[in-house]
Amino acid sequence: MRLLLVLAPLALALLGPLFVPERQQRHAPFTDSGPLGTDFVGRDVWYQVLSGGRTVVLVAVVAAALAYAIGVPYGVAAATTRRRWVDEVLMRPLDLLLAVPSLLVLILVATIAGPGLVVLIVVVALVGFPDVARISRAAALEVAGRPALEAMRLQGESLRRRTGYIGRSISRSLAADLGTRLTASLYLVASASFLGVGVPPDAADWAVMVDRNRVGLFLQPWAVVVPAALIVCLSVGVNLVFDRALKEVRP
Amino acid sequence: MTPVVRVENLGATVDGHVLLDGVGFTVDAGRVVALVGASGSGKTTTGLALLGEGPATGSVTVRGRVGFVPQQPSAALNPVRRVGAVFREIADRHPGDPRDLIATALRRARVPADLLHRYPHQLSGGQQQRVVLAQALIGDPAVLVADEPTTGQDPLTRTEVVDELSAVVAQGTAVVLLTHDLDVVRALADHIVVLRAGRVVEQGPADALFTHPEHPYTAALLAATPPHPTPPTTDAPRLRVRGLTAHHRSTTVLRDITLDVTERLAVIGRSGSGKTTLGRCLAGLHEPSAGEVLLHGTPLPRSLRRRTPAQLAAVQYVFQDARASFDTRRPVLDQVARTAVRLRGLAESDARAEALAELAAVGVTGETAARRPHALSGGELQRAALVRALLARPEVLICDEVTSGLDTVTRADLLAVLATVPCALVLISHDPQVVARFADRVTVLHEGRVVSHGPASTAIEGAKEKMT
Amino acid sequence: MTLRAYASRRLLLGLVQVLAVATAVFLLVQALPGDAAVALAGDQPDPARIAAIRTAMGLDRPAPARYADWLLGLPRLDFGVSLVSGRPVAEFLAAGVGPTLLLAVPTLVLLLPISVLVGVTAALNEGGRLDRVLTSLTTGLHSIPEFALAVVLVAVFGVQLGWLPPTAVGVDLAANPAVLVLPLVVLLARPVCTISRLVRAGMVDALSSDYVRHARRLGLTETRVRYRHALPNALAPAVQQVARTADWLLGGVIVVEAVFVVPGLGTTLVDAVAARDLPVVQGLAVVFAVTTVVVNLAADVIAFRLAPRTEVAT
Repeated sequence: MRLLLVLAPLALALLGPLFVPERQQRHAPFTDSGPLGTDFVGRDVWYQVLSGGRTVVLVAVVAAALAYAIGVPYGVAAATTRRRWVDEVLMRPLDLLLAVPSLLVLILVATIAGPGLVVLIVVVALVGFPDVARISRAAALEVAGRPALEAMRLQGESLRRRTGYIGRSISRSLAADLGTRLTASLYLVASASFLGVGVPPDAADWAVMVDRNRVGLFLQPWAVVVPAALIVCLSVGVNLVFDRALKEVRP
Repeated sequence: MTPVVRVENLGATVDGHVLLDGVGFTVDAGRVVALVGASGSGKTTTGLALLGEGPATGSVTVRGRVGFVPQQPSAALNPVRRVGAVFREIADRHPGDPRDLIATALRRARVPADLLHRYPHQLSGGQQQRVVLAQALIGDPAVLVADEPTTGQDPLTRTEVVDELSAVVAQGTAVVLLTHDLDVVRALADHIVVLRAGRVVEQGPADALFTHPEHPYTAALLAATPPHPTPPTTDAPRLRVRGLTAHHRSTTVLRDITLDVTERLAVIGRSGSGKTTLGRCLAGLHEPSAGEVLLHGTPLPRSLRRRTPAQLAAVQYVFQDARASFDTRRPVLDQVARTAVRLRGLAESDARAEALAELAAVGVTGETAARRPHALSGGELQRAALVRALLARPEVLICDEVTSGLDTVTRADLLAVLATVPCALVLISHDPQVVARFADRVTVLHEGRVVSHGPASTAIEGAKEKMT
Repeated sequence: MTLRAYASRRLLLGLVQVLAVATAVFLLVQALPGDAAVALAGDQPDPARIAAIRTAMGLDRPAPARYADWLLGLPRLDFGVSLVSGRPVAEFLAAGVGPTLLLAVPTLVLLLPISVLVGVTAALNEGGRLDRVLTSLTTGLHSIPEFALAVVLVAVFGVQLGWLPPTAVGVDLAANPAVLVLPLVVLLARPVCTISRLVRAGMVDALSSDYVRHARRLGLTETRVRYRHALPNALAPAVQQVARTADWLLGGVIVVEAVFVVPGLGTTLVDAVAARDLPVVQGLAVVFAVTTVVVNLAADVIAFRLAPRTEVAT
């Protein structure tokens, strides 16, 4: 059940574009032709659904990965520095970043930098990275203070083995947080696309479809409800799958 | 005189394990019965049966109410509730005027009324102990069950607990004491019930059991005296500490400590006195802000990072929490053997052979050591941790509260191992038994300063004067 | 540290925080491409006309001077004038605050009771069927994008069943409470999940704690043990999350306002960014920063009361 919730939209998102014909017929807007009718400019909604998931999923995953790529070294650096002020200088600005509403940052930066998937990825990563940095810092601090690591230092244990131990321990805390990060990233990407930030207005994208086809909600609800429901399924599925995985790792 | 509590033929079986079998004893009014035994002997299950909880079957007759004094009052008091509010809630559940009930209980447990406005974290350990005692005394119980009332308390609080309980007994309340603290048993108990694996091994008047135990297990449990340590071999101090000052963030935890470590030094003091930090400074785990530690006259680098392998080997440290000091993912043997590889340059196979031999000598078999830490008991892990440190062939071994949380028998085993250790020892401890029987010198710390230093017998007395 | 010393120190820190946000937004806004003069000049941008507009609006003055002027105006609630309409920014803010509060206040009022009810119910049935259902629901829904949930709800209840008005277009919000039902449900979905999960976890911990076991042994009634002993301990972590939610709600919930066409602060922000109306954007950012500081301070003070033992972290 959980897996189906994730796999169905995921398969649709990743494999869907393969089944979209190169040339598509245009019909009148919001009619019943085709399995799910037509959209606001008369395109076939079913083909739009097939091709509109890829950007949402990929941008969310890449942005989350980028947030980890920046956040983990950043947080570990702050935790392992021997100078208090370095820690302060690294972490204090993040409090500030967290105090600004993430969508405000997103809208401002995207307006400055112009639309584009790369901009969207960078901004979503930027918004997500303070949390990753904080979690990594906390995890690294906790591990660094463990008697097990102190015992290794007393044994004169090599740097490689000690880093190995720290890495293993931190990755557990980070893995526990992965699901939350992914859904948060998905949330931001979808919300930004819905607001028209970072994607062209006629893009084949589930979130953009929801926004653009809203005017026809009374005429042809499928053009709105199907992409919206797919996003809901994906989000719920990711949450449930990671939650279950976490319980199995740490019963 | 009819007894207040009569326990007959108490039994308990959980998942096919026999926890209790045919336990019986009686408690008279104003008397103290101590249930003693190692962990898993059935003390706690018996105590729960008196409260009407737990899996036990059999007959428990109590004439009157049972009050309960929990282990670790700091955990039993709700951190977000003021002391007085909880007293009123309890008093409302008993017949009579709540105000009278509270006042009587407070008087009997010697709790000043102004403590009622405080939150538990604003009370000292001794005050928390008296508060839970007063809570138990509301409604005048016929018998109090006290579960390990002294575990984890510092020596001064421990004496306070004994005083409070004996005052309550003097007022006619019976007490059932579940403990492995023999000093408390000696000070309070009229009657002792020795439990082992859920059965009564022997019971009788306290004096008789202490002087003429009939069963060998009783003798082992009640005596549990560690063999006398090997006498000092040298007179020159191995470690000298000069003007050591240390901070945690902005608080000063050690001020200008100067002392010498010759053979067997015990460092005692209340929680928060700085004794653990002192040990950590010696080992290089905490960087002092001023002062130096000299090994045979040569200053040791303040931080572990700058100590050479030889210097690392010379000063070793055994952690209070043995379980936390092992990597949960690797077999214990692998971790223990690494000391010899890294600090003495032994080949992996030689190191393992040596580690196996030493582990076996302290009673940890090769089969046990090949497992991961979670499969070992606390006592086994503590011994493995000791071997891990000893494989460095240290000059000085620092042991931080290594006996806390171990029951009498396990503790006796560990002390027996420690007695044979061929190096100088710094024992950081709460445990008066360890201090009295083990140390040739005692240093008493109070609020980060040395308040007393000297031979074991005189130092503690000297400290009591200065601390009060 | 006493509560008062702590609070005043936090206020000072908050002031610095507001200043920093104000400065950062000012700089970001400077970086926005194009300016209002260009936008105002209309379809035929005539360079002379653009220059004239610039001079009239003071846009030709150096950035530091404009920054200083603007900053000095803030304590007097003078946020400058809109570049687009020439009305004071404060008026924009005042117009947006109403609808925002109309959404935020009922959401906040309902949030804690619902979350506590769900969290405590799940905790009391720990491991049972009800707990499993509630936990799956709250886990699944806890980071669902609002717009997706919103349009699904609108399609079902607004369009198909016709029970509730689908949007707030042209409706006086205060006079028509039915309009608010769907937005409130959408706004509550995420926070209720997050907070009820916190409450459940806190409650499960508290119920298995030594102090609860002790309270039961002292003969207190189960109701008292649950709600006077366990619950306060379970609430402390939830309070911080309520603060984050309040901050989010008061900052204008852009997406929900967009779906339901509510002219709150979020809509004001989106419109201002689109029109390059810089003073309005800056003014909003300052308001958001102040809200953040105040809400978090309030939460910390409440958490301090709920959990008196916690060392106050700075």
